[in-house]
Amino acid sequence: MISINLNGREQLFDVEDDMPLLWLIREEAGLRGTKFGCGIAQCGACTVHIDNQAVRSCMYPAVAAHGKQVNTVETLGSKEAPHALQAAWIKHQVPQCGYCQSGMMMAAAALLKSTPNPSSDDIDTAMTNICRCGTYSRVKAAILDVAKEMSL
Amino acid sequence: MSLTRRMFVFGGAAIGGGLALGVIGLGTHLAMHDRLGVQREGNSKDTLLNLWLRINKDNTVTLLSPHTELGQGAGTGLTQIVADELDLNWQQIKLELAPATSEFSNGGVFEGFVGEMIGKPPAWAEHIASNAFNRLADLLNMQMTGGSASIRFTGWQVMREAAAAARQMLINAAIDKYGASINTTTDAGFVVDGDSRWSYGELVEHAATLDVPDNYTLRAKGERKFIGKAMPRHDLPDKIFLETQYSIDRHVEGMRYAAIAHSGVFGANVATINNLAEITSMRGVLGVENMGLSVAVIANNPWRAEQAVKALKITAVSHQNSDLSSASIETFQRESLQGKLSDAHSVGDIASVLGGSGETVEAEFWVPYLAHATMEPMNASAWLEGDKLHVAAGVQNPLYARVHAAKIANMDVEDVVFHAHSMGGGFGRRVGFSMSEDNPLMWIDEVVTLVKKYQFPIKLTWSREADTRQDVYRPAVLAKFSAQLDEHAKPRYWQSASYGSEGGAPASMPPYNVDNIKVQFANHPSPIPIGFWRSVENSQHAFFNESFIDILAEKAQADPIKYRLALLDKNDGHAKCLKEVAQLCNWQYGVSADGKAMGVAVQKSFGTMVATVAEVSLQNNQARVHRVWIVTDSGVVVNPDSAIAQVEGGVLFGLTAALYGRCDIENGGVKQSNFHDYPIIKMAEAPIVEVKLLESANEPGGFGEVGVPTIAPAVANALAILGKRPMRLPINA
Ligand code: FES
Ligand code: FES
Repeated sequence: MISINLNGREQLFDVEDDMPLLWLIREEAGLRGTKFGCGIAQCGACTVHIDNQAVRSCMYPAVAAHGKQVNTVETLGSKEAPHALQAAWIKHQVPQCGYCQSGMMMAAAALLKSTPNPSSDDIDTAMTNICRCGTYSRVKAAILDVAKEMSL
Repeated sequence: MSLTRRMFVFGGAAIGGGLALGVIGLGTHLAMHDRLGVQREGNSKDTLLNLWLRINKDNTVTLLSPHTELGQGAGTGLTQIVADELDLNWQQIKLELAPATSEFSNGGVFEGFVGEMIGKPPAWAEHIASNAFNRLADLLNMQMTGGSASIRFTGWQVMREAAAAARQMLINAAIDKYGASINTTTDAGFVVDGDSRWSYGELVEHAATLDVPDNYTLRAKGERKFIGKAMPRHDLPDKIFLETQYSIDRHVEGMRYAAIAHSGVFGANVATINNLAEITSMRGVLGVENMGLSVAVIANNPWRAEQAVKALKITAVSHQNSDLSSASIETFQRESLQGKLSDAHSVGDIASVLGGSGETVEAEFWVPYLAHATMEPMNASAWLEGDKLHVAAGVQNPLYARVHAAKIANMDVEDVVFHAHSMGGGFGRRVGFSMSEDNPLMWIDEVVTLVKKYQFPIKLTWSREADTRQDVYRPAVLAKFSAQLDEHAKPRYWQSASYGSEGGAPASMPPYNVDNIKVQFANHPSPIPIGFWRSVENSQHAFFNESFIDILAEKAQADPIKYRLALLDKNDGHAKCLKEVAQLCNWQYGVSADGKAMGVAVQKSFGTMVATVAEVSLQNNQARVHRVWIVTDSGVVVNPDSAIAQVEGGVLFGLTAALYGRCDIENGGVKQSNFHDYPIIKMAEAPIVEVKLLESANEPGGFGEVGVPTIAPAVANALAILGKRPMRLPINA
C-alpha cells in the first residue's frame, strides 16, 4: 500500500511500486486535470507538485511519492477564486487547444514559488514544457505579469 | 456573392419555443457531386442543412456551430459575426457544438475548401470518390473542421446571411404584430421604433410564424461592434479551470483500458504473438486481441495495458513494404520525376526558350514525412447502452466519424451516439480522410471492434510512440527546379517538377512574372499513409518556390526582396506584403555585425497573403532563429487577437518542422517515436514573433494554417546569406 497526501487528503493506493504517479492520479484517484502527453518526461503535460517542487509525474514511480504531499492542478484555483496565474492566463488569452496548459500552469506556479521575480531567461530555463500549439509568448507574458503583481 | 445565391435561409418555430433559422446549401453541394461524378439518389440528398441559429424566448441566442474546437477558437469569431449581423449584445449569445447528426452536416463548407484548393477534383479527392469505403456520397456525412474554413465559409458566407435574415424577421414581427413603423430598426437585442422597444425574446414567437424575408441588408462596416475586435474566447475559461473534457478524460462506470501495438510495417498485419501466455498473466490484463493491423491489450489501468503492450513480442507478416526506407522512397521519387509527368500549370511556351543563352540554374529539394504530434495522442472511448453504441472521441468531423464507427460496428447510424470532445490539437490529423487509401481514424475502428467483442466500456489510448508511428503523414516530397537567367538576370523560364499530386495544387505555381513557366508533377499511390498536415501542400511548395526564387536572386547578386518585387506587378498582393514586411523588420540584406542575417518568403494560402522575414544566426553550425516578422493581408479580420495567436502558433509549428521535423522510414515503418527524437520547439528556442495584420473590405481569409508555409523558406533564405543554403529539411538534421 502506498500512502500519499493527495491534494491535502491522506489516501492509500494498492498499486505496483513502479506505476507512474500520473496513472495513479488519473485513474486510481480519478483526477483528470493532469494530462498525458509523452510518458517519458519530455513534454511536462503531467506536471504536479511534490513537496512544492514541479515534477513530471509520468516517470515518477508511485512508491517514491509514499509519505509525500502531492498537489495536482485541481488545487490551483476555481472560476470563483482563481489562482493569480489562471487570471493572467485569461487576461493574456493563453490557451489554444489547452491540453498542455495544466502542466504549464503547474510549472509556472512552482517557478514563481522558488523564483518570485524571474527574468525572461529564468522563465526560459524553468519552462521546458512543450506546447504544440505554440503559446509560449503568451505563457511568458502571463508569468511576468503575475510576478510583477506579486512584487507590488 | 455567388455562394450565397445558392444558399437558402429558412426558419420556423423552435422546439421549446423561439425562432430557429437554418441555412440550406443547394447548388454548392450539388456542384461537388457533379464534379466528382458521384451518383445522387433522391431529392432529399440534394439539400444540406448547414447550420442553425436559435433565438430563444429568454432573449438569448444560441449558435450551433458545426465546427469542433481544436484550439483555433473559431467559435468565438462565429459569434462575433452573428452578434454584429443580428445586432446583439455580447452577453446574449451562446455557442454550442452542433450534435453529430445529418441536420448539421456542413459538406458545403468542405466544398468551399476543396473548390478553392483545386478548382477541379485533385487526385486525392478522386481517391475519396473511388474508394468504396470513403465514398464521396459521405460528403453528406461530413461535419468538417479544416481548411481554415470556419470563419471564411461558415461564418462569412453562411451565418452572416442567416443572422441578417433573422434580424429582418424580428423587425417584420414588430411591424406585423404591433404595427411598428417602416423606420423600425434594432439596438443590441431590441427592436426599436421611436420610443417603443421589444426584446428579441418577446418577438420570436410571432417571428416564427412569418416567412423568411429575401430582402434583408447586411450591416455596414460602421455598424459593427464585434467584428474586428479582440473579443475574449468563449472556450478559454473552461480550459483554464479544467472544465473542458478532452476525450482522454472521458470516464464511464466500469471502464477498462486498451493499449495498442501496430505491426510496425505500414499495411502489414500482425502475424504472430510469441509470448501470449506471459502477457495474459501480467497484473490487470484482461485480454489480448490480434486485430490485424494491430494488437490490443486490455487491462484495468491504462499503464498496465501499456506495460503489457511494451512486453509484447510480435511479428509482422512479410509485406511489400517491409523493405521500404526513406532512401528507397527518395530514389523512387527521383526516377518518377524522370518518367511521365502531369502538367499542373503552364505559361507561355517553355520549349521555345529552352537552350537559349544565359546561366542555367538547377536545384533539387527534399522534405521528409512529418507526423502531426498533437499534444493529446489519439484516443477514443466506446461503450454499449441498451442497443446503442456510444463513441467518444476528438475528431475534426464528428458526423463522418459517427458514420464510420457505425460501419465498423456493422450497425445503423441511428444506433450510434457520437460524443465529440474538444481536441488536444488537430492540425489535420483528426479529419476522416487521407491522401492515400489509409484510414486516419484507425483508433476509432480499434475501440469499436474491442467493445463489440468485450461488451464492457473501453478507453483506448495510443501511446506517443504509437501516435508518431501510425499517423497520416505530411508527404515526403522531392522537387526539381530549373531556370535560365536572361541578360538582366531575370528568369527567362521557370520549370519545376515535384512528386505527389499536391504538386498540381495552386501552391506549386510561382507568383512571379516569368514569360515561360512549366510546373509538373509525378504521382503514384503512396505506400506510406499521407494526409492533411497544417497548411497542406503549401508547407512544401512554399519552401521549394520561395527557396528557388531566392537562389535566382543570389545568382543575380540582388537583394532578395527587390529581386522579387521586380518580378511582381506593382499592385500585386505579394508585392504589397513584401514591402510592408520589409518596413516592419527594417530589412537588412547581408550579414550583420553580430553574425545574423534576414531571409524572406511570401505565400498566399487559404485566402490570406503572408510575407515573412526571419532573422537567423548559426551557432555551432545549427540554425538559431531570433526574430520573425509577419505581415498578413486577409480582408476583414474578425478577431485580431485570435488571428495573431494562430499566426504565432503556425510559425512555431512550421519552425519545428523546418529545424527538426523528420519521420524517417526504416523497414517499412517510422523510426522516430516520441519527443526525444521528434522534438518540438520549446520556449527557450521560440523566436520573438511580430505580426502585422493588414485589413481590407474583402472576405476574411483564414488564419489557422497560414503562419506555417513561409517560415521554412524564410529561415532557409537567411541561412543562405550566412553561407549555408539548406536544400533539404530539416535544417538542423
Ligand atoms: S507526459 Fe509526462 S512529461 Fe510528457
Ligand atoms: S495549447 Fe495546445 S498544446 Fe499548448
